[in-house]
Amino acid sequence: MTPDELFESLKAQFAGLEKAAAPVKGYLTLKATKQELLPLVTHLKAAGFDYLEIVTATDWKGPVDPRGYIVDPNPNHFLPEGATPQAAPGAPTPGVAYRDAIELVYLLGDLGARKMKLFIKLDVPRDQASAPSLVPLFKAADWQEREVFDLLGVTFEGHPNLKKILTPDFLTGHPLRKDYVHVPDAYD
Amino acid sequence: MGIILERLPGITGRMPGGDLILTTADTVIDWGRKSSMWPMTFGLACCAIEMMGSYAARFDFDRMGVIPRASPRQADVIIIAGTVVKKMAPAIEKIYHQMPEPRFVISMGSCANCGGPYYDSYSVVKGVDKIIPVDVYIAGCPPRPEALMYAVVKLQEKIMKLGLGKDGYGGYTPQQAKGSRQLGEESRIENRESR
Repeated sequence: MTPDELFESLKAQFAGLEKAAAPVKGYLTLKATKQELLPLVTHLKAAGFDYLEIVTATDWKGPVDPRGYIVDPNPNHFLPEGATPQAAPGAPTPGVAYRDAIELVYLLGDLGARKMKLFIKLDVPRDQASAPSLVPLFKAADWQEREVFDLLGVTFEGHPNLKKILTPDFLTGHPLRKDYVHVPDAYD
Repeated sequence: MGIILERLPGITGRMPGGDLILTTADTVIDWGRKSSMWPMTFGLACCAIEMMGSYAARFDFDRMGVIPRASPRQADVIIIAGTVVKKMAPAIEKIYHQMPEPRFVISMGSCANCGGPYYDSYSVVKGVDKIIPVDVYIAGCPPRPEALMYAVVKLQEKIMKLGLGKDGYGGYTPQQAKGSRQLGEESRIENRESR
């Protein structure tokens, strides 16, 4: 079964399903909404996609100027000889980059009959970022959702143990957010 | 052994020709210390791979008397190999204080020297010498096994200059006498309550 056939069969079940605007290269990428995430993943798990490989997220806010770095949009600084100078990157791709949202990315794999993997992308707003937790379905989501919570501040409803997992206890805030301001601590 | 070393200068100071005995004892004791340096391997990141490489057959460390010990209680030197993150820093302090003296610290690689390529990170300590006093720094990312061996050779040269000191307890390097960069006064060897 090709990815497109799978997409058509999924659309029969879930009416408003569409492919993501910026698909991951080489994989079927679905775009989900918060309400239909759990039914979709439950259906996919029953259909054979029972390996949750990745739960991660990206903060798409931009353009930001991280403190201490000089952001130079000119790509012609270190031009090798003979290469044509390139134009500076223009406006970011609308709808994909520099939008005020956090995008959750799930990678589900079917290691059985189909031997296929597919991505699910889910946009959540940056303030009060929350999403349904996949822990009732996949135990693998437990620590990965804790990591997304710790680094980006997305709360997962229904998670049994949502607390910090990676950053030290004295660190407040969510470091991978684009507007994270580092508070100097004892080791700085 | 520690009691003998502590009382030795007092005893030999009263004997005629005691200085000669002390100098010979210095040399013998320093030779003993440098020839069997047992590191507490503290491999944190990629530098640990190069450290493993120098323990392995090709760049054998055992021929210099260096045998890795897993416990800080049995180690003379600690090789901080890798990035020191802020979450790990209290553990490093604890382990350093668990090592019996004379103890030495080798900081291996850019991350342990100064924070390295992760200097601007929110979670990286900018150099392990902010927490513990370091005797030898090795530059590199990662340094080759030969560089680690050269660092051990340099540390051995440093140990040969130590001697017993005036109170029989010269077992600390000038760096340890100075204390670590960050902690300053409290980590100096004279200002600690327990020896």
